Amino acid sequence: MYYREAGRLVKSFAADRRMLPLMEDRFVTTLFVVVVMYGLVTWLASDYIFSAILIPMMVLGVATLGLNIATGYTGQLSLGTAGFMCFGAFAAFNLIFRLDWMYIPLAFFLAGLIAGLMGIIFGLPALRIKGFYLIVSTLAAQFFAEWVFNAYPWFLNYTSSGVVNLPPFHYKVFPFQELTPLNDAFWHSSRGRYLITLTITIALIVACKNMVRSSTGRNWMAVRDMDIAANVIGISVAKTKLMAFFVSTFYCGVAGAMYSYCYIGNLDFMIFNLRRSFLVMFMVIVGGLGSILGSFLGAIFVYGWPILVTRLGDAIFGGGTLDTAFVENNSKIVVGTIIIVLLIREPGGFAALWNTSKQKLRVWPFSK
Amino acid sequence: MWEGLPFFLEVLVGGLLSGVMYSLVAIGFVLIYKSSGVFNFAQGTMLLFAALTFVSMTERQVNFWVAFSITLVMMVIMGIIIERTVMRPLANQSLLSLFMATVGLNYFLEGLAQGVWDSAVHGVDLGISNDPIFLIEKFPILGLDIIISQFDIAAALIAGSMILGLTLFFQYTRTGLSLRAVSDDHMAAMAVGIPLSRIWAIVWAVTGVICLIAGLLWGDRVSVSFTLTAAVLKGLPVILIGGLTSIPGAIVGGLIIGASEKLGEIYLAEIFGGQGIEHWWAYTTALIFLMIRPTGIFGEKEIERV
Amino acid sequence: MNTSTDSKNPILVLDNINLSFKGVKAITDISFNVYEGEICAVIGPNGAGKSSMLNVINGVYIPQEGTITFEGKQFKKMKPGTAASMGIGRTFQNIALFAGMSTLDNIMTGRNSFHKATFWETALNVGRVRSEELASREEVEKIIEFLGLQSIRKTPVSSLPYGLQKRVELGRALAAQPKMLLLDEPMAGMTMEEKLDMSCFIQEVNRNLGTTVVLIEHDMSVVMDVSDHVVVMDYGKKIGDGTPEEVMNNQDVIDAYLGVSH
Repeated sequence: MYYREAGRLVKSFAADRRMLPLMEDRFVTTLFVVVVMYGLVTWLASDYIFSAILIPMMVLGVATLGLNIATGYTGQLSLGTAGFMCFGAFAAFNLIFRLDWMYIPLAFFLAGLIAGLMGIIFGLPALRIKGFYLIVSTLAAQFFAEWVFNAYPWFLNYTSSGVVNLPPFHYKVFPFQELTPLNDAFWHSSRGRYLITLTITIALIVACKNMVRSSTGRNWMAVRDMDIAANVIGISVAKTKLMAFFVSTFYCGVAGAMYSYCYIGNLDFMIFNLRRSFLVMFMVIVGGLGSILGSFLGAIFVYGWPILVTRLGDAIFGGGTLDTAFVENNSKIVVGTIIIVLLIREPGGFAALWNTSKQKLRVWPFSK
Repeated sequence: MWEGLPFFLEVLVGGLLSGVMYSLVAIGFVLIYKSSGVFNFAQGTMLLFAALTFVSMTERQVNFWVAFSITLVMMVIMGIIIERTVMRPLANQSLLSLFMATVGLNYFLEGLAQGVWDSAVHGVDLGISNDPIFLIEKFPILGLDIIISQFDIAAALIAGSMILGLTLFFQYTRTGLSLRAVSDDHMAAMAVGIPLSRIWAIVWAVTGVICLIAGLLWGDRVSVSFTLTAAVLKGLPVILIGGLTSIPGAIVGGLIIGASEKLGEIYLAEIFGGQGIEHWWAYTTALIFLMIRPTGIFGEKEIERV
Repeated sequence: MNTSTDSKNPILVLDNINLSFKGVKAITDISFNVYEGEICAVIGPNGAGKSSMLNVINGVYIPQEGTITFEGKQFKKMKPGTAASMGIGRTFQNIALFAGMSTLDNIMTGRNSFHKATFWETALNVGRVRSEELASREEVEKIIEFLGLQSIRKTPVSSLPYGLQKRVELGRALAAQPKMLLLDEPMAGMTMEEKLDMSCFIQEVNRNLGTTVVLIEHDMSVVMDVSDHVVVMDYGKKIGDGTPEEVMNNQDVIDAYLGVSH
């Protein structure tokens, strides 16, 4: 067996605490990231693959991860994900538009901070109200975001249509960019935007994994599982919840900024509506609460399903046979059914399915 | 200030009347939450489903009452099916899982409703006049020169009598007694022989009926289309203000949200530099109430035991 | 530690505690001392207010009257966080573990006060994060070994049997290196063997680490065996306070346990 989980002696606590304790996992992951994601895909993929599949999946995955931090890891229900993405997108636009020395990664980071600040503000009621009652606060955030960018056109630089096209010449990616062979046009192409998205996504995954495997993550989960006990053993429930809201909405904010800049290429508050909040929530449920891998599996599935149906329809019945309404209703029914079935059969979502199938493969062919 | 009073009252009364409708939707929530701990997010779509079914029949020249009865039966069956296939297998799961299941159900029904029927905008006419009533002409004794929509009054009356009927039903019948027992303690209720699943089925069926009535009233006012699902968003702050487990809470909450929404629209929108504040204003109102009473006005305060 | 309690310093002084819920009296005028390094058992019939007493000590409930003095610091309102930071550990009657986490992580959370790294340090895995995590792991590993939990280190606690869950909970409380442990029925519902194990753990902690222990227990043989000091409660009042022998011969206590004919 090349891949074995048992029988590898862990010789130190540091080794046991690694992000991927298994040597095989480290090898495969590194190979995947370096050779596949940065190598083959960057080299070979088409414009369509970049901008209609990979970039949106990563962006939505980050948003899902953000919601998962609040809901999956800390147990705080939030229906305001798209609202916080909206804050992030508008923050990024205004930073880049109004400060010409601004760099994309910095702008996205600051956009995350601003969204995080909003997260703290709308998370404050969580200190007093619990459970379903908290929905009110997050929905208030959602509707407030939709309203404020509509009511105050300054945020949109008074664009009359309500939608700002994000002209690519707006952004610089890093200092001394002009000294590198990769020119502006490259960074504005789908390939360049893919690389930006990929790098940010990986950074955010690593950061999340780091938090989850340390005291921060344990405190979140303690508050999720039993906040009274957490309080008694000295965890500040208030601080932990606010911190979780901050980190969660930071991720959502960055996702919102990437959504506008790297994916759709315009800034439109109508896109960040309640439906999108729910879509992200579906991704969390389908992928698996409290799982980083699950966040991305969920995003890939929920986002990818309609595309798959359309493509299959095209392949079987010829191009353009399936109208969008059919595809939309079909995916609603399928995703809705999958959510219910998963909740009944495997509440851990795809992430748990992945783990059980690994377990089954390990004992194959002697398993049922 | 005092010249503004009649106008203020007009807005207030209008708000309260629409609040009765919110209360009706909210009671559907409360019934299900009370009996099974499920926060039924699919209610808005059930409402749309009912209205769409009804409209699709009347548009095909089916008699009003025939269409109404068929839809009624269908909603009851739908409620029972939901209970059987979704809620029962999930019994004893965490509240969060149950909630998420209804969110999934919501998505499923949305696709189904629009797939079976269509996503066009339909009109529904219940034959209630929409003419305004000048209160000073009808009731000069009150001395109030305000205008009230006749439709609002009719809708509020229908919704109000539904609410009254439901309250009486659950207060004075055997089923109602069982429901209250179940809401207090599932296990204990089962132990004394109350058929839990039957109670749940009844509750879901009743919710189906509520959805039909609310769907038609709402549909007449705004039209039957996808926007009807927003009803759930109107009902949400209502039950949260009232407390998830309280029928009186749903009524009071509905009135508060209805009034606050209309008053906010008139008096606060300008301060906030534009229209359209009603979406978040209802939630802000709810938030203010919850900050004072974290489990709603009539909600049960849980004493946490360790 | 069966030396006389008189020569010792009280680590905890409860003075005239009164607690009621919406008018229902749970605790009436209770005062007693717990001395440094002793094992103090709080006994009494069900509903006597024992658990409420522990909840008052570590701030889960706030008494309407009375003061709590821990290590010379007097409190009218104790807060759970303050209690934890002053070194009061706690286990619960109905196990209050973090169900979604492994044994190891549960015990690690007990050491949260030793983790000073901020969340962004943990996110970047820089600075003190690594050293703190490894130091904690080393301490936690000692506890795991002490309690014999090695084989279930990475098992989710929700899948553990009751007796082991109780042990993990003790481990979590120990991880904070408390000066005083409040154990709410640590042996309830256990088999004789499990009880023996548990009382060994408690005595060993008390003897080797000098941790003061306040425990609630119904099994009189255990109480008489392990405790240096017994407080008896009934209907929210204290009816006995002294060494096990004194309490055993106290007429009020005998009446409360066996009932009196009127």
